[in-house]
Amino acid sequence: MTQGLAEEVSRFTEAWRIFKKNRLAVWGLVIFVAFFIVAVAGWFLTTGENPVLDPAKVRLSEKLLRPLTPVNTEMVKPGDRPLFGIYLLGTDDLGRDVFARMMQGAWVSLTVGFVAVGISVMIGIILGGIAGYYGRVRIKFMHVLCLIAFFVSMILLASGQREPALDSFVIALLLAGVSVVYHYLSVRGGAPKMLEFLFFDTFSVDTLIMRFVDIMLCFPSFFLILTIVALLPASIYNIMIVIGLTSWMGTTRFVRAEFLSLREQDFVSAAKAMGLSDISIIFRHMMPNAIAPVLVSATIGIAMAILTEAGLSFLGFGVPPPHATWGNILAGGERFIFDAPWLMYIPGFSILIVVLSFNLFGEGLRDALNPRLRKR
Amino acid sequence: MQVRGNPHRLEEFITASTGDAKILNPILHADSASSEITSLVFDGLIDRDENLRFRGRLAERWDIYEEAYFYINPRAPVNGGKVSGAGPLRDLILSYRNTPGKAAPPLTGTLDNIRDIEIIPPEKGQTDIRIPGPDTDGDGFPEPVSVRVRYNRPPRLKITLKKVDQDFFSNLESILGKGYFETFPSADYIEILTQGYEDRLQDIARRVVPPVEHNPVIVFYLRKGVKFHDGHEFDAGDVKFTYEAIMNPKNLSPRTADYEPVKRLEILNKYTVKIVYKRLYSPAFGTWGMGMLPEHLLNAEALRKEAESKGMDPDKFTLRDSDFNRHPVGTGPFVFREWKSDQYIVLDRNEDYWEGAPNYKSYTYRVIPKPLNQAFEFYGGAIDNYAAQPHEVARLKKDPRYQSFSGLSFGYTYIGYNMRRELFKDKRVRRALGMAIDTDKIIRYVMYDQAERITGPFVKQTDYYDKSVKPLPYDPEGALRLLKEAGWKKNSEGWLEKDGKVFAFTLITNSGNELRKSILTIAQDSWKKIGIDVKTDLVEWTVFLGKHVNTGNFDALILGWSMGIDPDLYQIWHSSQTGNNQLNFVGFKNKEADDLIIKIRQEYDYDKQVQYCHQLHRIIADEQPYTFLYVAKWTAVLDKKIVIMERLPSGEKRIKRITPTKTGNYMFYFNKWIKLPFEPVFEAG
Amino acid sequence: MFSFTVRSFFQKLVTLFFISIISFLVVYLAPGKPSQIDPLNPKFTPEDLVRYRKEFNLDKPLHVQYYLYYRNLFSGQLKSWKDNQPVMGKIRERVKNSLWLFLVGTLITWSLSFPVGISAALRRGSFFDRFSTFIAYVLISIPGFFFAYILIELVVRAFNVPVIGMYTFGMAQADTIYQVMDRIWHMVLPSILMALGGIALLSRYVRAQMLEIIHEDYIRTARAKGLSSDVVYYKHGFRNALLPFVTMFGLILPGLIGGSVIIESIFAWPGIGRMAFDAILARDYPVILTINFISAVLVLAGTFISDLLYMVVDPRIRL
Repeated sequence: MTQGLAEEVSRFTEAWRIFKKNRLAVWGLVIFVAFFIVAVAGWFLTTGENPVLDPAKVRLSEKLLRPLTPVNTEMVKPGDRPLFGIYLLGTDDLGRDVFARMMQGAWVSLTVGFVAVGISVMIGIILGGIAGYYGRVRIKFMHVLCLIAFFVSMILLASGQREPALDSFVIALLLAGVSVVYHYLSVRGGAPKMLEFLFFDTFSVDTLIMRFVDIMLCFPSFFLILTIVALLPASIYNIMIVIGLTSWMGTTRFVRAEFLSLREQDFVSAAKAMGLSDISIIFRHMMPNAIAPVLVSATIGIAMAILTEAGLSFLGFGVPPPHATWGNILAGGERFIFDAPWLMYIPGFSILIVVLSFNLFGEGLRDALNPRLRKR
Repeated sequence: MQVRGNPHRLEEFITASTGDAKILNPILHADSASSEITSLVFDGLIDRDENLRFRGRLAERWDIYEEAYFYINPRAPVNGGKVSGAGPLRDLILSYRNTPGKAAPPLTGTLDNIRDIEIIPPEKGQTDIRIPGPDTDGDGFPEPVSVRVRYNRPPRLKITLKKVDQDFFSNLESILGKGYFETFPSADYIEILTQGYEDRLQDIARRVVPPVEHNPVIVFYLRKGVKFHDGHEFDAGDVKFTYEAIMNPKNLSPRTADYEPVKRLEILNKYTVKIVYKRLYSPAFGTWGMGMLPEHLLNAEALRKEAESKGMDPDKFTLRDSDFNRHPVGTGPFVFREWKSDQYIVLDRNEDYWEGAPNYKSYTYRVIPKPLNQAFEFYGGAIDNYAAQPHEVARLKKDPRYQSFSGLSFGYTYIGYNMRRELFKDKRVRRALGMAIDTDKIIRYVMYDQAERITGPFVKQTDYYDKSVKPLPYDPEGALRLLKEAGWKKNSEGWLEKDGKVFAFTLITNSGNELRKSILTIAQDSWKKIGIDVKTDLVEWTVFLGKHVNTGNFDALILGWSMGIDPDLYQIWHSSQTGNNQLNFVGFKNKEADDLIIKIRQEYDYDKQVQYCHQLHRIIADEQPYTFLYVAKWTAVLDKKIVIMERLPSGEKRIKRITPTKTGNYMFYFNKWIKLPFEPVFEAG
Repeated sequence: MFSFTVRSFFQKLVTLFFISIISFLVVYLAPGKPSQIDPLNPKFTPEDLVRYRKEFNLDKPLHVQYYLYYRNLFSGQLKSWKDNQPVMGKIRERVKNSLWLFLVGTLITWSLSFPVGISAALRRGSFFDRFSTFIAYVLISIPGFFFAYILIELVVRAFNVPVIGMYTFGMAQADTIYQVMDRIWHMVLPSILMALGGIALLSRYVRAQMLEIIHEDYIRTARAKGLSSDVVYYKHGFRNALLPFVTMFGLILPGLIGGSVIIESIFAWPGIGRMAFDAILARDYPVILTINFISAVLVLAGTFISDLLYMVVDPRIRL
């Protein structure tokens, strides 16, 4: 174990050495960290009963003011004034303080990116891990039937047909019960021959998962996200979930490929020989070795999620109020391009800089962690 | 840029809208885009001129007169019981008219107005009538029920009047005796056959055998030789068809309510239509601005053929399903050419338009959902007019390339006080509350000067609005004086107090409207300054309506009305409309105002109507049930090269600057617009 | 070879079947009512609602609706709920409009990415390499619509010309030459914007591919033999580097629909992307589903073609 740790440390220093050489990536990291700090500060400053920066305070008499305009003390009550009595980044068409909104937007945008990517990475790791580790296991016909019955019942439930949903759920339970009994009996060697036809092998787990990945990749991703988000009630959670649920395919493929190669390596065989459980082999031994590419793709994924949210906002289906995101500030500011250009340029360039830093940092990370590139 | 290599561009007008039209049928559409197109493709019988007065279109002229009816009342002794029966009664009335000096004003005017008196013999029969029943679905409104009634009507006089006269019967009472009509025993002449409605005998009897009846009549004399775009001549049959299509329940027309007061529509000859109404209701006249449909393309036979050619069930095929709604044929100044969903609609000018063809050769209606894109297209010259957003007005007005027009919208924003509450019963208090608010400041800072003050309930650009009424001054001191008169004095803490109670209430409005929200804050602030403890609350719209407005459960609220041109204020201001789910939710009750409101909706004479409206306006402005705040302004921008071009009889062309009408409608002379290749120079003035 | 083709084709069909089910479920299970039933319109009685549900088969069980939908789609009878026009006709017309953007955009992408990527690879570490790398990252990091508006504002301010839509309205009577110019002018901005993301990604990919090739033994051998670097890189290296891209021709097909929603909305381009967006807004299920289905078909067709091309250019691959 200690040796493994030492190896980890040396790998880290080695990666850092390579990473440091990439000036763009280092800058990316710096901005990446700065953005985190801003986002956390934004969370502290804009939430609560009486936030220091109130992103939702509407002052119609203070519409579309330029950045650095002091507040009009005649029209605005003391409690409604911005921090230091000045609009650092101007105001929008409702007289809201753009600086406060940008601060709130920082953490909301980051949360959207994080949760969405978190979901997609979770799904990706689980499905990729299963496909890579148990890929060769074949699914029995009975289990396919059971799964189909289960999905049918879920679909019926979602479409509001309660009774048939219950029926097919009962069927699914029955099928599951039968197969449990069958397995129990077959372990003891006494499974009834007449049921054998229900338990022939069909396709492998790997086929199932990878076909599913193929299917998901066939949907035009932005259009699919847009469709679902538009049809569901507007909410920040739906957006995070939908982005997460439609972007896990890449991670799945990475993890599967890593697992396929790791599975053949000696330390896994050794662990198996020692009789460690599958769970502990997967999570303690294989996952740490497969996590690097996942991290890289997660970093870039967050950037992409922020961009996707901005795109959705532009089409009117982004994160709904009261939450400000950089995307919806930008989308809301587009009407004022002639009369209040800062409403577009501030969030637009902020998104550009942050997404760029994520991308550069992610790429730098990939180069640093990828042994094949390291040789060059 | 636009014109280079393309001089034809000058003869095309291109406009843009954020939404596409839905259905190009004047009797079916319910959206503004469709309305804009159909108003160019179709003509109504009438429309409104630059002063918002009615003017003839497909109808060259019209007559409005009245047929009044009353039953002979056997219980009322006329002339001490000496006159009885229909014949003698008619002779009595005529003798008053024909003998000079026998009648005094106002009766003389009433009698001079009589054109003819006719006797209608008694009548027996059976009928089904629909009356409001119990509210079975719980929406706060009664459901109609059908009741079968047998009747035996006594003889009746039908009096044809030269002009509609809402005071006819009350004036006639000076001959027939006071209460002649009121005491008519309607219930004696009916028998209710449907079980369970005996307790509503009086109500039902008044419906089946009404003592008196005003039946206003409109006769339209149609313009001869007007042709639909397919060459078929427009005539009275088309008017009748349009009316029937609206009333046909299968068509689901959203205009049905407008035509419900029509009793019957008769074709007198090919170019004359007579419309008889069930009751005095002057706003009904304006509904004949409705675009007229071509009967020959849409009658039952035509629809059946269309259904068959499409392989659909002819019985289920209605006007709504017809291709006509995407390829309309009307009589209007523009002929439909093409409609590409979500892209554009193109119209060509009607070369044979009865009023002369428009100057523009074509009219293109583009769908550009984003206002910003419209702006880009406007600056690039690809669309000719642009509705400026409030924040753009200042910049665009300064731009030397454009001419701009501003006008008032048809609606206003107000603070309404719940007059059922003790606090607001005194009109001095309401007036003081209004005087404490600096409305000009709201207009300047919140509306960016894109609004004007308003003092009463009528559309500001109409004659109905009394311009002599002065807005409340901003005068917190004066407000305090008024409150003092009403018994409110400052206590030691600086709050106003009366009988040991502090002046405190809650001002509410709906959430999601930022304008109202900031007015809420400003009002709260202003009132606090004079010592009134005001709480504010923002309520979600459905809750706002359901829990507060519709049930009258509020102190004061901020809301807005959008209005039509017609001066009928019955629903908003009449004292009978103060119940739950009704629009007079502030509980305004004023006898004098009630009378005027009824008179206005029953008056067919424009000048009298205007006079009544001014009276009502003054009463409401005096009572201050609302603090009337402002009416918003719109601004439209147009290329300066677009002008009005008139062709004189000599063939010479004369060019004029586009000026908005008195009512602010800059597109009134649209048919005479044209774009010049250069920017014209007009002499000053 | 033949058996591979058949098997791959069959596999794609099965995938398509599952896609058809999933996209159907996504749309039909989502809450929301189809367009013609407007709950805010008081004139719509409950009876009308029932009638519409019946007319659109919404009262039938899901699997029947699924069957009816795809039957109508394949028999060409599918009608839009919004205006009762045949869906395929509408889509055909819009695809025609999108195709122009797509073709020009693709042309720009491919003709720019290769020179940029190859030069960057050959001069690895040079200013040009670093600069193009940075620009490529900027292009994939900028919100597309933000960039579009910056460009539009510049163009409208500087030249005062219309850039929205496919052509300027009111040009129908103009000389052909002006009309052609007008069309081209309208195509410039959107197609450049469509191409930018592609250029960024593809040029990076070309660069990486080229770098890999440069380090291959045979290149080193060729250079050791004393051949000039131009001959080596362009004659030997480039040709080999190109191979993987031949297979990518198939993969650009789906871009026809997927990538255009935002660009077409910005420029009010009457293409398939904007139609898809309008359909979503109006809850026009038949149109949404059909577009989804067609784009899935395009993806599958694209991968199928690219599989085949792969086999042709690299006979070692046998799946």
